Amino acid sequence: MAIDSATLQRVTAQLYERSLKKIPDDTRAVLQRAETAETGTTGKHTLKIMLQSADAAQQGNELVCTDVGIPTYSIKIGTRVQFDGPVREAITRGFADLVQHIDPPILKMVTNPLTHARSYAGKDMPLLSFDVIDDADYMEIVCAPKAMGTGRWEAIDAFVYPTLEQIERFVLDTVLRAGSQPCLPIVVGVGIGGTFDYAARLAKESVLRPFGRTNPEPILAAMEKRLLDAINGMGFGPMGTGGDASAMAVHIDYAASHGFVPVAVCFNCWINRRTAARIYNDGRVEDLNW
Amino acid sequence: MFHKLELPLSRDKVRELAVGDMVTLDGDITVSIGLPTHQRMAQAVADGQALPVDLRGGAFFHLSTFVQETADGPVPLYMNPSTSTRYNAWMPSLVRGLDLRLTGGKGGLDAACVQALRDTGCVYLSFLGGGAPLLSRGLRRVVSSHWNEYISQFRLLTLNVASLGPATVAIDAHGNSLYDQLRDQAQARMPQLLQRLETDRKASL
Repeated sequence: MAIDSATLQRVTAQLYERSLKKIPDDTRAVLQRAETAETGTTGKHTLKIMLQSADAAQQGNELVCTDVGIPTYSIKIGTRVQFDGPVREAITRGFADLVQHIDPPILKMVTNPLTHARSYAGKDMPLLSFDVIDDADYMEIVCAPKAMGTGRWEAIDAFVYPTLEQIERFVLDTVLRAGSQPCLPIVVGVGIGGTFDYAARLAKESVLRPFGRTNPEPILAAMEKRLLDAINGMGFGPMGTGGDASAMAVHIDYAASHGFVPVAVCFNCWINRRTAARIYNDGRVEDLNW
Repeated sequence: MFHKLELPLSRDKVRELAVGDMVTLDGDITVSIGLPTHQRMAQAVADGQALPVDLRGGAFFHLSTFVQETADGPVPLYMNPSTSTRYNAWMPSLVRGLDLRLTGGKGGLDAACVQALRDTGCVYLSFLGGGAPLLSRGLRRVVSSHWNEYISQFRLLTLNVASLGPATVAIDAHGNSLYDQLRDQAQARMPQLLQRLETDRKASL
């Protein structure tokens, strides 16, 4: 058995469309709790209309946000998986087909960084990252369209033998610099260690982690909790117009590194676009329902 | 306080609005999220040339819109705000040169823009990012569309809206900016937040 290109094309396109029209269930639940707990009048009202907006999008098959971002996929391929055709080409075709047929139509967001020309296609688009899962007979695909509202404020820096205090200060400074500009409450992803690119990847994969999973590293589990409290203590609030809810979660991962330790911080906005599915060698498609 | 605003607004009405107030809008608004659009508008102001749409006393927002061409004419399908700070460089000259009463998008504008809003009597509205389903309900029709050589969201587009919002007054015409206040507040809280982090860190190790 093998995963066929047509299935891959269809599933990746569906993940992208679903991520634009429905916020994850866990995210809605966190926003609902934040709305109940919010003490600021403006913040409470803003959270209320966020929930209304998300519900209206889902019910009406509408886009939650007009900035549909650029399509990005984090893909892990089981080592027992076989393919009957191209992989990258199938995903590229899926996106190209989607932009022709999606209802409502989406705006052109894919931008050539050298000319600023916008279209639905471009070099290396969709952005794909690949990894392997030993001994698995499936591929796991996470789709996370990335837009400007949060992407612009992400940061990476390289430290030498940093203390936990230095790392936490960098995270807070990055959130402070973003201030009211991303669509808060945000999810904050942090990657510590590895190399320059690996830290960024850890941050990205962390930001997409479902809510409620305790970090298996106790040092990081504690750091996640105290950073979340600190970020919410800043007071930027929903949409950055004041309130208690500035972040929904802080998710951190790490990798061993040398004496130099890159630290990357990335964000997802309140609609927290992320969808995921597994495609098995035998053709089954499992919706991971994130 | 909640205001149901009928456009165009008088300068006096604009000065009644205070940060934290919420508003809905009825009337004509002009929108664009194009950098080339802003550059072109600012150049027209600098050259003393008229824009294709008269924005004096009007409303210009950083809202992105898809306009579908149909047999009955252009139809706006949806609308949603974009990050305003990337237009900081041009907004003071647009606010002053066009004598705007309302501007907005999301995320605010910088100090030079706040000064321009104060000097001329203009407020900045924060719309809900990710609010396309709700904001789009306020869309009525396309009044005019200029610079159509640009992609949809970059055009200079005038739309008729009804009960558009709610939006939050985030910078008022008296120099008060929620964004500045919240940034200053967050910076002032940093020593205390860092101290709490240290205490919690020591307790967890």
